[in-house]
Amino acid sequence: MADAVLELDRVDVAYHGDIRILRGLSLKVRPGVITGVIGPNGAGKSTALRALYGLLKPVAGDVLIDGRKVTGLPPWKFIDNGIALVPQQRSLFNELSVEDNLRLACWSFRRDRARIEEALERAYAQFPMLRDKRRDLAGSMSGGQQRFLELGRALALRPRVLLLDEPTAMIAPRISAEIYEFIHGLPGQGITVLLVDQNVRQCVRISDHLYVLELGQNKVDGSARAFQEDAGLRDLIAEWVDYRIDA
Amino acid sequence: MELLILNGLVNGLIVGGIYALVGVSLTLLYGVLRVVNFAHGEFVIAGSFLAFVLFTSFGIPPLLAVPIAAVVFFIAGWGLYYVLIPRLARSDDPELMSFLMFYGVSIAAAALMLLLFEADSRTIDYTFTPVSVQVGPIYVSTARLVAFAITVVVSIALALFLFKTLPGKALRAAIMNPEAIQIMGVDIVRLSAFAFALASALAGVTGVLIALVFPAFNPFSGAEYTIIAFIVVVLGGLGNPVGALLAGVLFGLAEQMATVFLPQAMAQIVGFLILVGTIFFRPSGILGVRFKR
Repeated sequence: MADAVLELDRVDVAYHGDIRILRGLSLKVRPGVITGVIGPNGAGKSTALRALYGLLKPVAGDVLIDGRKVTGLPPWKFIDNGIALVPQQRSLFNELSVEDNLRLACWSFRRDRARIEEALERAYAQFPMLRDKRRDLAGSMSGGQQRFLELGRALALRPRVLLLDEPTAMIAPRISAEIYEFIHGLPGQGITVLLVDQNVRQCVRISDHLYVLELGQNKVDGSARAFQEDAGLRDLIAEWVDYRIDA
Repeated sequence: MELLILNGLVNGLIVGGIYALVGVSLTLLYGVLRVVNFAHGEFVIAGSFLAFVLFTSFGIPPLLAVPIAAVVFFIAGWGLYYVLIPRLARSDDPELMSFLMFYGVSIAAAALMLLLFEADSRTIDYTFTPVSVQVGPIYVSTARLVAFAITVVVSIALALFLFKTLPGKALRAAIMNPEAIQIMGVDIVRLSAFAFALASALAGVTGVLIALVFPAFNPFSGAEYTIIAFIVVVLGGLGNPVGALLAGVLFGLAEQMATVFLPQAMAQIVGFLILVGTIFFRPSGILGVRFKR
């Protein structure tokens, strides 16, 4: 078995031809644990995630799933590989009901009724609130509820890997804490997690392995424990002044 | 006077139904693909010419031309998608470039029809029996009533597809959030090709209905319908199919009622005034937008 379920190998990503956002970035999502990615604004965290999921095409380097090169694989092929994404921007269909949002996630097996019912049940079991609201329009729910729907929808398909981009951005603190507890428990359910986050404290707390990005490159790569004990790194974070360390 | 008003209402509904179909196909195309189809009117008129050829060369009546146009244009649209759109996708600004490309397609399509059918206005010499039907105190041509019935059936079928089936919901979802639909595992290229084919099929069917409702058409009539389609799309809200259907009917009614009270030439101005008013006061269309993205 490959040592990474998902991997960027010396990837360059550029916008408009010449503005390089990622420069030779390598990143491994290790199986069975939480891999955290932190870094200041503009470091390329979200870009790295989008490149991993086929939403951006690298100009150089490769994307690998289980050690296989899949560079250029379109985003809609990832869910079939057991890899789900909850992006930073809202990914719900506001004018569809909660249940229709869940059903659309079952697109690749849309003729298999039993499997669809099973997926719906799994989402409702994770977040019972979704069952009560299943006929409501997704756009009518609160920010926190919408985030739960996105998480429930991603998990309904029983992915082996879940990629999360700032799961608690613009979410009330109490619900944020709940979301982090939930993410922390995912490896226990056999789900590998990649967590890209601005919330350094929480990200460091629940991650097993950490990447620190700066200017599209790896600044540091190591176990979260080593990170917590390294005074130099703590100072580095203090430099990212516009940065939310608490929450 | 009451008769004139009633006439205006009935004809407004009939013409409005046609405008609704012209608009709904364009708005679907824009919503899903984010391309601006300047050649939409030519697609529509090509449908009229298809009905013309089917009738004059093969004796196939316009009613039968409706399903034939739907199938022919669906297949043609599917093929055209793969010829045109991948080229756009490679550009830095696909939405802007789509203007230019479809403007070119529009000129090419009109020229092609000119080559095939010459510049004369054409009519389909087909008459229903009876020629007209009494609706209350007024007479309406049977052809117009038949066209209206088809418009209603097509609109209902389209609405059921968009709101009650999963592929229809996927199309609407792609309009609401084009990136998220890909994360759901939906192949956006195939879905877009389907949207292009569906919009083309609707345009072809609308063309057949235009041949029934309006006295004549020629290879240059397309531009007129492109403009109407744009007005209807803006009135209904960009990428809002239900809005387009309502806006089409509203626009048709306004235009036909205007001819009752104003000189003929003013009728179109009324349409544009509604457009300008909408852009000023309800820029997101007559239905507005319920949620921000």
